[in-house]
Amino acid sequence: MAVQKDLENQGKVSRRTVLAGMAGAALTGAIASRGLVGSASAQGSYKLDLGGYAGPELTSEPVTLRFMRQDFTPDVNALLEAAYAEFKAAYPNISIVEEKVPYGDLQKKLLVYIASGDAPDIMMGRTDFTDAYHAGNVALPVQDYFSADYINDIPANLRAAASSGGNLYSVPWETSVMMLYFNRDLFEKVKMQTPPEVTGLDGGWTDEELVANLVEMNAKLKEAGDNQSWALAAAGQGNGGPGANYSQLESIWIRSQGDPNAAKDSAAYKTLMGISDDGFTVSGHIDTPEAIKGMQFYQSLFAKGLTPLGPVPNQYPGGLAATYFGGLNFTNRFRVPGKEPPFKWGVSLPPKGNIVFNGNGSDAPLVWSKSQHPAEAVALLSYLCNDKNRLAFHKTWGSMPSRTSLREQMSVFATEQPFKMAQALSDASYSVPRSPGYFDYFNAMNPAVKDIALGADPAKVLPDTAAKIDRLLAKYRR
Amino acid sequence: MQPTTAPARKKRQWTGPNSNMILGPAMILPAVVALALFQYLPLITAVLNSLQSFSPFDQSSTGWVGLGNYSDIFADPAFRYALLNTFLYIVLMLALTIPLALLLAVLLDRRLPGTTWARNAVIGALAASEAVTALIWNQMYEPSSGLFNAILHAASLPTQPFLTGGSQALVSIVVMTVWKDVGLPLLIFLAGLQAIPRELHEAAQLDGANDWQIFRKITLPQLRPSIVVALFMVTITATRMFTPILIMTQGGPQGATTNLALYSYLQGFEFQSQGTASASVVCMLAVLAIVTLAQSYLLRGQQEK
Repeated sequence: MAVQKDLENQGKVSRRTVLAGMAGAALTGAIASRGLVGSASAQGSYKLDLGGYAGPELTSEPVTLRFMRQDFTPDVNALLEAAYAEFKAAYPNISIVEEKVPYGDLQKKLLVYIASGDAPDIMMGRTDFTDAYHAGNVALPVQDYFSADYINDIPANLRAAASSGGNLYSVPWETSVMMLYFNRDLFEKVKMQTPPEVTGLDGGWTDEELVANLVEMNAKLKEAGDNQSWALAAAGQGNGGPGANYSQLESIWIRSQGDPNAAKDSAAYKTLMGISDDGFTVSGHIDTPEAIKGMQFYQSLFAKGLTPLGPVPNQYPGGLAATYFGGLNFTNRFRVPGKEPPFKWGVSLPPKGNIVFNGNGSDAPLVWSKSQHPAEAVALLSYLCNDKNRLAFHKTWGSMPSRTSLREQMSVFATEQPFKMAQALSDASYSVPRSPGYFDYFNAMNPAVKDIALGADPAKVLPDTAAKIDRLLAKYRR
Repeated sequence: MQPTTAPARKKRQWTGPNSNMILGPAMILPAVVALALFQYLPLITAVLNSLQSFSPFDQSSTGWVGLGNYSDIFADPAFRYALLNTFLYIVLMLALTIPLALLLAVLLDRRLPGTTWARNAVIGALAASEAVTALIWNQMYEPSSGLFNAILHAASLPTQPFLTGGSQALVSIVVMTVWKDVGLPLLIFLAGLQAIPRELHEAAQLDGANDWQIFRKITLPQLRPSIVVALFMVTITATRMFTPILIMTQGGPQGATTNLALYSYLQGFEFQSQGTASASVVCMLAVLAIVTLAQSYLLRGQQEK
């Protein structure tokens, strides 16, 4: 039934789809009209597959490229190292020096490097901070170096998230989707119906249904004498626990209460956007009645004892929670033979407020604006993003590809429910609230979310936090 | 004063009557340079930075703003809360650490059975990494699986939000810090106690004084220099407390555990505002100076009396 409905919806062209398409077309048009795409193309003459790179031929002078990124799992690190070796074999004059930084410290380290005036040529950034990369002249506009085909292969909403002022400042490395995982065994144990396993954006639980089902699950687990399992696992994003990662996770509760089709001056529209058009004011956006309602739902998860108040590592994969908010990487990891979790699992949509919301903020490497070797740096980045390297990465790491053609090459996106649903979420996803000061915004929202989880009144915390963020963003106006 | 000693002694002063004019400054030069580089230069830089604004992107100065950063932080409720919390940390740390250290020092000084074990345990806590200690205590305070709540649960008492309750979090951090840092004042007191001549106690005992009278009339007055040192050290520790707060509460809930050190860090590294971070650091130094001056004044007054 739900699948039927999804199929019907796929045939419809929503206002959101039209707007996203127009935005993408406008961006592509802006880039193309500047004559930047592939303007110095030497495509085809490179010594190995540099992916979408269409810039000048690489130098034959000795060059050392520095790359700062997060530390992945050993198998992913090995993939990258093998890729460097291949690149080095083709371009022996180019050496690559890596610096691995704990994931949570990446953006701070990036800013410290920029302040030092001696930053690595390539740094792992995030699409969340694209406006800061633009306003602070942090990143090199890279569209000059890529073919139009490559840029058009990035879905319009992701391309927009990585662009500012008509320039592409980073290359989306993957994209974020947040889904509701569930433990089928625990639902069977307490004889409850599992969340709907849909392939589109309709048919999932609403906020009210999620909370009601988790309350029932919690009560039935206790009745069954299971005092170890939780209805909802602690968040595993960021440092874990409440306030772990507003961009990817907790913003769902606020922004899903918004409405993209409402009037621009309405609270519902502002709630979805999360910030004013100029990127400097959040009062009236994160403290609307809609936003407060969303955070009240969120708070009830903790107040009703449905989820832990602090971080608990690996609760869901360990089989100690009935549900969990996680990305597509869990689906991929759970499907690896021999690494399956100790329970049957399924996946559903995140809860629907007014809409089903998904934030697409994700990792996106950038080239430092003052790099001495911009062409070589972009070429290396583009090489790491060629089809072969990206497919190997996504297969090993499990995240969602950021290019349409890559998804088409992975048959699971056409055949399997979790992937179809992830694709639908990604297609309808929104960037973080656009501001050059989003780093401040994010750092102020995380503790506010945690305070709400711990019992603070959202009707007081959200306006206070909005006032604080307004003060913090004022310095970006200068 | 002109040297009047034998020629051999003159020779040890290297050359001529003015040799000390060169040798003396040369001897202290390394210390002066180190102090200037690592103490005074950062201090002057902090003061200068507190009077400027900076680009939030590359941290380059964008001009002088006078006392603008100070007015900004005083207008920020979070700063006022952090200032108050800083005083609270100082008061609680002094109130708990000094008496506890004194009590433990007196007990250890008596060489009771288990003294060696107890002394090693206290020094072991002192030697442990601050971050590791904070992580361990974080686990022990955890609401659902922590040791303390397990004990409360076993005693049929309600679960306590040690680190998540606004009224308990600051105290919980202080308790952990006292546990970890009580060793330093304890060692200072122990050294002070062992320097008190035994004859004073024996004379008092012969005069019929009881233990409490001996402690109050002899031990405490004799320990005054040690107490002054310990007070200063604990005050400084309490003012610049940072790691446990960052690890255990990140300043929450609702800023209840944020002090000036954490506030400065947040301004500088989370909110890209070097100017207000520096202004906050200068305020923290002012707090420290005021408290230590007040302590000096009060203790000197008692000595004069």
